[in-house]
Amino acid sequence: MSPLRRQIRQTLTIARRDFTATVFTPIFLIFLFAPAIMGSLSVLGGVSAASVTQGSSDKARLVAMLPAASAKALRSADAQLRPLVRGDAAPPPLALHPSVENAQIVSRAMLDAPGADVNAVLYGTLAEPRVVFSAGNRDDARYLATVSRQAALIERAGADAPTARMEPVRTAAPKRGDRNAASFLAVFGIFFLTLFLSGQVVGTMAEERNNKVIEILAASVPLESVFLGKLLGMYGVALLFVAFWGTVLSQVGALLPGDFGADLAHLRPAIGMVPFALLFAAYFTTAFLLLGSVFLGVGAQAGTMREVQMLSLPITIIQVAMFGLASSAVSHPGTLLATAAEFFPLSSPFAMAGRAASGAQWWPHLAALAWQLLWVAVFITIGARLFRRGVLQSGSAKPAWRRIFARG
Amino acid sequence: MASNDYAVIADGLVKRYGERQVVDGVDLAVPAGMIYGVLGPNGAGKTTTLRMTLGIIEPDAGTRTLLGSDHPRDVGDRVGYLPEERGLYPSMKAREAVAFMGALRGLDWQTGRARAAELLEAAGLGHAIDEKIRKLSKGMAQLVQLLGAVVHRPDLLVLDEPFSGLDPVNQERLEALILAERDRGATILFSTHVMQHAQRLCDRLAVIAGGKRRFEGTVDEARALLPQQVHYVPTHVDPQLAAMLPPSARPDGEGWRFALPEEGIEGLLRRLIDAGYGIKGLSIERPGLHDAFVRIVGQTASESKA
Repeated sequence: MSPLRRQIRQTLTIARRDFTATVFTPIFLIFLFAPAIMGSLSVLGGVSAASVTQGSSDKARLVAMLPAASAKALRSADAQLRPLVRGDAAPPPLALHPSVENAQIVSRAMLDAPGADVNAVLYGTLAEPRVVFSAGNRDDARYLATVSRQAALIERAGADAPTARMEPVRTAAPKRGDRNAASFLAVFGIFFLTLFLSGQVVGTMAEERNNKVIEILAASVPLESVFLGKLLGMYGVALLFVAFWGTVLSQVGALLPGDFGADLAHLRPAIGMVPFALLFAAYFTTAFLLLGSVFLGVGAQAGTMREVQMLSLPITIIQVAMFGLASSAVSHPGTLLATAAEFFPLSSPFAMAGRAASGAQWWPHLAALAWQLLWVAVFITIGARLFRRGVLQSGSAKPAWRRIFARG
Repeated sequence: MASNDYAVIADGLVKRYGERQVVDGVDLAVPAGMIYGVLGPNGAGKTTTLRMTLGIIEPDAGTRTLLGSDHPRDVGDRVGYLPEERGLYPSMKAREAVAFMGALRGLDWQTGRARAAELLEAAGLGHAIDEKIRKLSKGMAQLVQLLGAVVHRPDLLVLDEPFSGLDPVNQERLEALILAERDRGATILFSTHVMQHAQRLCDRLAVIAGGKRRFEGTVDEARALLPQQVHYVPTHVDPQLAAMLPPSARPDGEGWRFALPEEGIEGLLRRLIDAGYGIKGLSIERPGLHDAFVRIVGQTASESKA
């Protein structure tokens, strides 16, 4: 058997062991369903908070005291404008009251009435409207003013003004805004996935050190294969996680936040949707392998789980820094900053994924993927060498980073 | 012997950890098909020597050849290794653990699992085939690890302190397994500081102390380093008897113990009989490997102090 084939086989043996040891445990289910648990808790918190405020917001309302002749125009104007203001900014329901004498006094009394929860009152006529509002309800007052103006226009037209028929058109050339959205989505998507998944790699060598299995592995397999095998094993776990949640979200679109699903369908990356998806997968892979190889090498120097846990903060900082760098690059394409982000190994997958949305050329991506894989090899080699020198050569020898500080 | 008649050749291996010289020019030549022991007190450098030989760590100086190759990794699939610090994945089942170690050495999983079951049955661990390692006793887990070292039928089996932590029954099982591997044609290189096992098993041995090789040869050659011991029990004792015995003689129970004189025992016995001391008991004993080891290591300690 050739040395390369032997090394590949050994690497896959380690990867298989790590994959099965991770996946076939009850803890993995907690890991797999962590997003659902997080989501459920958020929903629960949101529902609780909403129920607390529900009562008061249900009671809140706007009041219009105008001549009865204007009621139809007011209702029509409210019906036209209300759909434009959605979500938390949506105004309370509009109640129509007949106009009264001393409307100014009555309207102020309405705002003051205990338990009435009137946010704003429109009175006078459509030709000369007045709005009063209680503190903190300026937006509701603006809405009422806009409604009265729209109602006046409707009255002047003599009938409901016709509403334009809307027809979506898919443009041939993607807009700059669409591309930016796709770029940011790519950067954020890879950041989000690697933030969740690549940090898992950091503690994997600690298991071998604690169980003393490392001696068996080191005697049988080159350390580089051990490192790569562990990285691939955890990458398999990450793929399983992504595949699971990808399938769930694709089948249950309702789980996607807001109009995310619809927005996703309207993405127009410059390189095309299918190549963009392929590049997203490729850059997720290299981002995972790059960050994972660094974390694995650093984590291998840690002797205890406590030391491994201490590493979680710098790891998160590195990931967020790479996200920040790549986001800046996406916002300023073609600049020195963007080029630096595309070349720097740890930010390269993020920045290049963003570039896939704004540029149609293939060759930069092929070159970038090769460049990134080269750095994976470099990081694994460095990690294995540090481990061999710092940890394996003596049970009592201090890790390399400790020796550096000890010299100081 | 030609160089390919040796499973392991180590030439002048040196290893330092910081200021500490752990191995200082150790030579080993392990003939193929033999059981070869590396003996030495704790901290002698045995484990470091074995680890350098296997390529787990690189020597600071010296060369080693494993199964004819200067690159131990190239022949990794023909080597089995039981390290001093035992290590298994606690969540693995016994059969999987054995098959996994075989897979690391090039055995496919299916064959590895089948052989693992056979080996576990033969070693009396049939009931534990599907038990997780964490549920096994220390001795059983150690045996599982040893089976993992032989499942791929290696040409060279390296065992570092294989008997430590085993009860007498499992020690016997292990001895039988080592002999079976030798009979299969494998070379066995093992380290120990327990002389009984070495005396029973080793075809040849080396004694390492203070990072240097102090002796190399057969068990008989090691024992021959010390003269045979005479245990003499006279029919009666008086103060003049000691003057008739060799200067090394010391009281031992009812009688006296002393090194067999170079000219033999006959003349001494005649003089004792003529002087009326008679012979109530007499035995001539060959010193054990333990005595030889103590002498070799003791000399090293004396040299170090000097």
